[in-house]
Amino acid sequence: MFLAAAGLGLAACATPGPRSQAPGAPGAAVQPTAPGSSPGAAAPGSAEQPPPAPSHNPRLDAVTAALVKEAHGQATSGAYGAAGATLERALRIEPDDPLLWVELGRVRLADGNPDQAEGFGRKALTLAGSNPSVQSEAWRLIADSFKVRGRNVEAVDAERHALGLSPH
Amino acid sequence: MLYLDRLVTRQFEGRRWTLPARVYAAPLELYAGLALTGGDLEQELERLHYRRVTQLDRPGSYRVNGTRIDVALRPARFADERRDAELLSIFTGPEGIESLRDATGREVPVLRLEPLLIGSIFPIHGEDRIIVTPQEVPPLLPAALKAVEDRKFDSHHGIDPQAILRALWVNARAGQIEQGGSTLTQQLVRSYFLSSRQTLSRKTREAIMAIALDAHFTKEDLMNAYINEIFLGQDGDRAIHGFGLASQFYFGKPLAELDLSEVALLVAVVRGPSYYDPRRHPDRSHARRDLVLKELVAQHVVSAQDAAAAARRPLGVTSRPAGAYYPAYLDFVRRTLRRDYREQDLTEAGLTVYTSLDPRVQEAAERALEHELARLDRPKKHPEGPLEGAVVVTSPESGEVIAIVGGRNVGYDGFDRALDANRAMGSLVKPFVYLTALESGRYNAATVVQDAPVDVPLANGRHWRPENFTHETYGAVPVVRALADSLNLATVGIGLDIGLPKVAATLGHFGLERPPEQVPAMLLGAVNVTPLEAAELYNGLANGGFRSPLRAVRAVIDADGKALKAFPLEVTPVASPAAVYELDRMLVAVMNRGTGRAARAYLPPDLVVAGKSGTSSDFRDSWFAGFSGSHLAVVWVGYDDDAPTGLTGSAGALPVWAHIMAALHTRSWSAPMPEGLAETEIEYPTGLRVARGCTDDAVAVAVPASADIPAKPGCVLPGLTTLIDRAHEWLRNLVH
Repeated sequence: MFLAAAGLGLAACATPGPRSQAPGAPGAAVQPTAPGSSPGAAAPGSAEQPPPAPSHNPRLDAVTAALVKEAHGQATSGAYGAAGATLERALRIEPDDPLLWVELGRVRLADGNPDQAEGFGRKALTLAGSNPSVQSEAWRLIADSFKVRGRNVEAVDAERHALGLSPH
Repeated sequence: MLYLDRLVTRQFEGRRWTLPARVYAAPLELYAGLALTGGDLEQELERLHYRRVTQLDRPGSYRVNGTRIDVALRPARFADERRDAELLSIFTGPEGIESLRDATGREVPVLRLEPLLIGSIFPIHGEDRIIVTPQEVPPLLPAALKAVEDRKFDSHHGIDPQAILRALWVNARAGQIEQGGSTLTQQLVRSYFLSSRQTLSRKTREAIMAIALDAHFTKEDLMNAYINEIFLGQDGDRAIHGFGLASQFYFGKPLAELDLSEVALLVAVVRGPSYYDPRRHPDRSHARRDLVLKELVAQHVVSAQDAAAAARRPLGVTSRPAGAYYPAYLDFVRRTLRRDYREQDLTEAGLTVYTSLDPRVQEAAERALEHELARLDRPKKHPEGPLEGAVVVTSPESGEVIAIVGGRNVGYDGFDRALDANRAMGSLVKPFVYLTALESGRYNAATVVQDAPVDVPLANGRHWRPENFTHETYGAVPVVRALADSLNLATVGIGLDIGLPKVAATLGHFGLERPPEQVPAMLLGAVNVTPLEAAELYNGLANGGFRSPLRAVRAVIDADGKALKAFPLEVTPVASPAAVYELDRMLVAVMNRGTGRAARAYLPPDLVVAGKSGTSSDFRDSWFAGFSGSHLAVVWVGYDDDAPTGLTGSAGALPVWAHIMAALHTRSWSAPMPEGLAETEIEYPTGLRVARGCTDDAVAVAVPASADIPAKPGCVLPGLTTLIDRAHEWLRNLVH
């Protein structure tokens, strides 16, 4: 289970695809700016402008992909501690990448720590913005963490989220 | 005699030096896209004492060729891998690193520099050393030791009778016992087996034991033991033993990389580590180094030419001893490890400890605190003692502590205020009052609350009547303003409405371990915390409502390189992400127009930061806690004896905080707005919804999309404006 999901994560990580929405697109994440920073900023004392979305830096994809690949190798041989440490390296480089949080949650789950796996899934959700495929990855992790703990009702709800459906 | 022989042989054979745990900073990760210019990179290499050369020769050197930097990396050990010495080419541009290539020209995605040694955990008044194998010793060192200390080392039987007679003659003449005549073997015996009291009977024992050692062991073995054993300096409570550590202690680099002048200096120091201390007595040690060089020429160890060149070199000693740089940080590391290890394991078992300390951030924090305290303390308000301070810096999403300053005298290994100063947090508590209110669903950033006199009858029959800082009341104000301007009365009103137990519970969820006393004054910060605890509380706010217990230790490995213990990242949701986002946006307003706005003068204009000031009663504590997208810093300023400082959080701690943030390569705070929230603008004084450009006194807030916020008459087209604003915003971003 771990490997299949992890492989999926790697594919998403390595492909510079539509990871998060374009900055400023309607419905995208909003971030405040400091006063005076936006071109349209008015006189001092005016409101901060609502502003560019949090940035995922596509230049870092190759870097984090290399570390994710290394982590997969470590996890495959059962070295979950080492895999986790390698993914933490990746997270220090790109902490806003929700898929890295999902990856780390997968390692925790495989290592028998479903509570932490859920925490990582929820952290990934807060970074996913309105990207449905990333949200789905995070919800699937959360669903799996519930299943392992025998919390089936919550698992089904989380799975519905993963499929883009509204929960029961 | 037989007894001594047995004693010496057995002890020496089973010798195992006690090896203090060695503590390392976080290694610098290099990768394409890292915002590190060529100049920054050179600084990092210099910090690790890489030498800039024109022709790469051995590990520990680098060459600059325009925007390309070639580095001969040293072999390095990390918690998870061992890396051999290798060549790396780094290509830099104006934005930072563009690419990394190995010796064959192949692209390298990511690579770590070796971590900086930041100290060791040694017993009190204990020996510290780094063991070196004969392969790690430059051949010049044993040759020089023999030439200067013991010319007949290779041929004598442990003692040199001629030298002893010479020494006795000198001693008799001088009427007192003086140093001299000892072979390297005798010095080894003295250091290894005996106390340093100089008596004649001790001298005899020493001679007998030296003969015994010489009879049982090879010269190579004895030389290696000497190189690892001998005392070469004192650093506070720490005794520097062996050339491996001495090389790090004086030059900040491995023994193998020392050149002739540096080897000569260490050999000079052997004779009297205190008398010839190159930091305290540079002239003395310089003269003796040159004497050693002359002796090396006389003994045909080096050529006159090489010696002359070496004599022209400066001492090359680092200004501060390597290791023990950061006592407050090491203190935290030590306390963490004591939970899992016996003291003896830490000081003797040769463990290696990898931490998350970022030397760049640590130095920025030390500089900012020293500099600002010196400025604030100038009027000398308090005769009792200097104004003190402490700083904790974390990386919010990893929960890693990356810098700790325990006081203004940063090299001093004493009272660690970051961990032990337990002080009233003042208004630093307010965000947790507001977060509790937001989570209740009954308040949002635009909710209008009353800032009005409060009178709470207490159990003891007295009344609690808090006041605002200005002693004024502000009447109806929106929540965002009550927080941004740190209005006490509005905050108490909200807190009492929500309930003290709920506020206390929020603090507990975010990591406050001792439950606060649930009195109304708690709402204004009658809660004691250490700067480290404050950092843990705020780390959860900076991390979107996820708690990560703060940690400094990444991994511990044993002397054989086996991983013993890791401290993996933990992430636990402790608050609604939407409420935390809403709160964080208000903390951005604190910085842009509230009590934190003075920081803007020091920060890059487009850097988004969030934070909160805190001042305890009678100005005893000046706090500031705040974060960007990649760093959280908590600063405390006050007197050790709790005397009033006359400083608010904004006047004392804030400038320290701002200087730290300004010195870091830090990213703007940003987070995707959680679903269910909407961006809106309200008038700062009234909380009424306004259209952009309608008033110059508006503030942007995030509120639940369902929130019904009354519009300012004539200032908004109901229901339409936000949409138009967003379209504008979207178009503007398309154009850019």
